[in-house]
Amino acid sequence: MSIQDKVKINKLPTGVPGLDEIVGGGLPEFSFNIIAGAPGSGKTTLAHQFVFANATPERPALYFTVLGESAIKMLRYQQQYTFFDPSMLPGSIRFINLSQVVLEQDLGAVLEQITKEVEKANPAVVVVDSFRTMVRKPESDMDLQSFIQRLALFLASWQATTFLIGEYAEEELRDNPIFTVADGLFWLRQTAERNSIVRKLQIIKLRGQDSVPGLHTFRITDAGVQAFSRTFGLTAHKRNPPSSRRLSFGIAELDKMLGGGVREGDSVLVAGSSGTGKSVLATQFIAEGIRQGEPGIVAVFEERPQAYAERAASLGLDLETPQKDGKLAILYLRPLDLSVDETMHSILDAVQKIGAKRLVIDSLAGFEMALSPGFRADFRESLYRMIFALTGIGVTILSTVEVDESFTEFPFSTYSISFLTDDIIRLRYVSIDGQLRKIMVVIKMRGGNHAKDIREYEITSKGVVILGKRLTEYQGLISGIPVRSDRPDSTEETSLDTGIEHST
Amino acid sequence: MTTPPTTRDLAHRLLAFEVVLAKTSEPSESATLRVYEKLRQGLGEFVGVAGFYSLASRALALARTEAPSLSAARVAADGSLQGLGELEHQMDIDEDRAAESATGEAGIILIARLLGLLLLFLGEALTLSLLRITWPGATLDDRSSENGRKA
Repeated sequence: MSIQDKVKINKLPTGVPGLDEIVGGGLPEFSFNIIAGAPGSGKTTLAHQFVFANATPERPALYFTVLGESAIKMLRYQQQYTFFDPSMLPGSIRFINLSQVVLEQDLGAVLEQITKEVEKANPAVVVVDSFRTMVRKPESDMDLQSFIQRLALFLASWQATTFLIGEYAEEELRDNPIFTVADGLFWLRQTAERNSIVRKLQIIKLRGQDSVPGLHTFRITDAGVQAFSRTFGLTAHKRNPPSSRRLSFGIAELDKMLGGGVREGDSVLVAGSSGTGKSVLATQFIAEGIRQGEPGIVAVFEERPQAYAERAASLGLDLETPQKDGKLAILYLRPLDLSVDETMHSILDAVQKIGAKRLVIDSLAGFEMALSPGFRADFRESLYRMIFALTGIGVTILSTVEVDESFTEFPFSTYSISFLTDDIIRLRYVSIDGQLRKIMVVIKMRGGNHAKDIREYEITSKGVVILGKRLTEYQGLISGIPVRSDRPDSTEETSLDTGIEHST
Repeated sequence: MTTPPTTRDLAHRLLAFEVVLAKTSEPSESATLRVYEKLRQGLGEFVGVAGFYSLASRALALARTEAPSLSAARVAADGSLQGLGELEHQMDIDEDRAAESATGEAGIILIARLLGLLLLFLGEALTLSLLRITWPGATLDDRSSENGRKA
């Protein structure tokens, strides 16, 4: 038998934005799935989205309600979601209440009723909400297992894709024989993290195809459940081969220090203390990109887009026109209870929408503060995933980070994230001749030559301007308190590093 | 509070439709009971017996405030309407006179109250969608197009 003879499993759209990516392209047709989670975790909404995405008049969906939420109230609330199309009821979607059978008879009668309805309607989708409430007696656990086993066999034979919805606590997951029957097990969690609610989804198992492992953030909005894959929906994209193209900052001397500019697809970290010009440098980077026909995104967390654009205008950089032309988007992300993945999805959406080639994150500290407290612990890991995903498709990322200025140390980042970056540009204050002046140095450039020079710069009405040649008349510049050396000012050309990565 | 005219009109349409059907099928029940029973069957499927009982009880209580003659009627545990017989045997099912008689008026009010609850809980689109399945040939509102969907 050749590989072509293997059975092809059709994948059905889940109707949940982001979930198709997580389950590996869609839900396997004819699969028998369980959605488990605590009350209020979004189980019913998720099932409804699947039903509305797949039901047709020819192959309708049967939605069996049992004990629990009243059907009329469920429909009252569910129709508030934008995916809910009333015209699909009851032609394509039929709600059937089984509470009477459950209350008055046994599980055998429930199975018989479901069987009868399925044989009559020939549905493509069957939902039982909630199957757990069918077992009202403690000794009925074995009955439920047997019921589910028989139901799974029957519905698979009738070519129905099925969801059973059940209220389960986390500790019940282990060794529960009911879950062994299911082809797919979706676990929804909702936890309070300080003052924020954090919702996460896990595909504990899904037979027949690769799902994205781990916990995925999700949110319930007026559009229903929206899931945010840990891989940001980029698993289908192949990583671009490393580019040798260099991107200019629009500052000739800095480009020279960088060996011709930032390598396309690199992640650049601009680190420095407050007022050293990190944002100015970032703005020049994005403005130069637009000037060269490379759309850009600026994600700001500490000031409003209008203020950001006005500050750029004071440097002679027009960010208004490219925004109107769809070449630039300035995203203000400060809702305080966002998950990292959700925030990054906003950035990714914008990147993909305008075909951005350059992305500025200004700043990482602001980004972290915008997150729900519970997500801050995952910040570095999530940032790593986003940077890896974006640079993989050729986007060049410049992030700014504020570092505490010290006169005994020369830190590159308070986040220990320098491993996430290909290139680091360090800005700092130095005390020279009774003045607080600024110096800049390229700390590392992965896979490329860069200058070892320490250069003085100023922030002028034209942005960052690098002054003169490298500073050779001082020693101990990176300490911030240099001492004048006897050597005369150098007239040497900029010297380039060998490209050997520095330890950071 | 009286029944809104639009809900009342909808109830009247359903009753009139059943009156027309009665002429061909020779039913033994009144139009009110037939409409009620069809609603019980149609809605009972998804709200359950207990769910329909709750709705019908509420509708009857509201209807009694407008039509005291319904005081003899009651909703049984299975959701069926009982005690309407005494009224109904007097009821003239002739469509020209149904609305004019006290019993016909009470029937319209009861059905209108039941429909009013559906409209309140489910909204117009979903309610009409459900009614169209039970009464595929009926014109349920002035905006209905030929295929029964909103124009």
